[in-house]
Amino acid sequence: MARVAIIGVGAVGARLARQLVSTDADEVVLRDEDRGRAEMVAQSLGERSRVDTAGLTAPLDVDVVVLAGRPRVHAKQAAALLAGGAPIVSVSDDLSDVRGLLALDRQARSLGTTVVVGAGFAPGLTCVLAAHGARLFDQVDEIHVAKAGTGGPACARQHHRSLGRMSVDWRDGDWENRTGGSGRELCWFPDPIGAQDCYRAELPDSMLLVPAFPDLRRATSRMAATRRDRLTARLPMLWPTHPEGGPGAVRVELRGQRGTARAVVVFGAMDRPAVAAGAVAAVATQFALDGVLRRQGAAGLAELVEPLPFLQELARRGVRAATFDGEATRAVRG
Amino acid sequence: MKMIRRAFVAIGMAALVAAAVRLRGSGGTPPQSGGWRELSGPELD
Repeated sequence: MARVAIIGVGAVGARLARQLVSTDADEVVLRDEDRGRAEMVAQSLGERSRVDTAGLTAPLDVDVVVLAGRPRVHAKQAAALLAGGAPIVSVSDDLSDVRGLLALDRQARSLGTTVVVGAGFAPGLTCVLAAHGARLFDQVDEIHVAKAGTGGPACARQHHRSLGRMSVDWRDGDWENRTGGSGRELCWFPDPIGAQDCYRAELPDSMLLVPAFPDLRRATSRMAATRRDRLTARLPMLWPTHPEGGPGAVRVELRGQRGTARAVVVFGAMDRPAVAAGAVAAVATQFALDGVLRRQGAAGLAELVEPLPFLQELARRGVRAATFDGEATRAVRG
Repeated sequence: MKMIRRAFVAIGMAALVAAAVRLRGSGGTPPQSGGWRELSGPELD
């Protein structure tokens, strides 16, 4: 009997809960800061879900714990819940969360369990696409990630915040910080998102990709933003956000050596970010339940899962990856 | 006084130009051919 706990039932957590109830878990335990919201979600899911009113980090007797609540507390929550020994899956795309979760690697190994870091749309699906694309190369030396769109309100606030903060890119064996909102690049996302101006921002994708690809020379991540986004990035959010977010997309460009020639491969996906993040987290949870994660410790999906079965399962759940056929190059990348 | 006024005008102009350059950004060439295709069949086998 598989039991999964979800901490935080916002736009992503609620969709994840629905997926788990319908496919993977026999019981889903819901915890949220807002008890009323957790009860509402539990009511809509039926008898295989229940609300747990203990504190968010109180010990849990479950097989997997998924952290899907607000960002910047995931590392603390994971550290508290790790002692229970169950694998932990985090959907956070916050840099401090990702750093803190990766720092739990030794503790997770000593407990014989796994912390899956960044199991959402980006990072998450982007890491799996990068791992999938890498199979087409003899050596990958550049990975460039871009994302467009936001999920629920927490995701929109995180998007707004990260655009006003320093990016963390990997360049020639060292981390490089550049100003958020700089480095415009026109990125071509899967239809109907199409071409979007993307900029540097405080995104954690590179932190998860570099350990998975030791030969990587460059790793960058950008997000789509409007001029208004860039102007107001350092101010409090001035506009209310859509509760469910709009359509979004991710794009992963890999460059490297294939035989004697240089090659470029571009993968992407289009979906509502909260829906896709919920599906990615559900598949990661399923992999953890099945015991098919590649290793113990804390790492991103590029290191932890076999990309092909992961993408097959995602496609079965309606999140389909795409590839760009044709010219996909630009002259200079900063 | 005149010098100070000129300095303020120069700083203001520089700030305007910097803001315009930052907002506009640089470069970026859209793909001239090709398109997106869903992964299927042997690519997901």
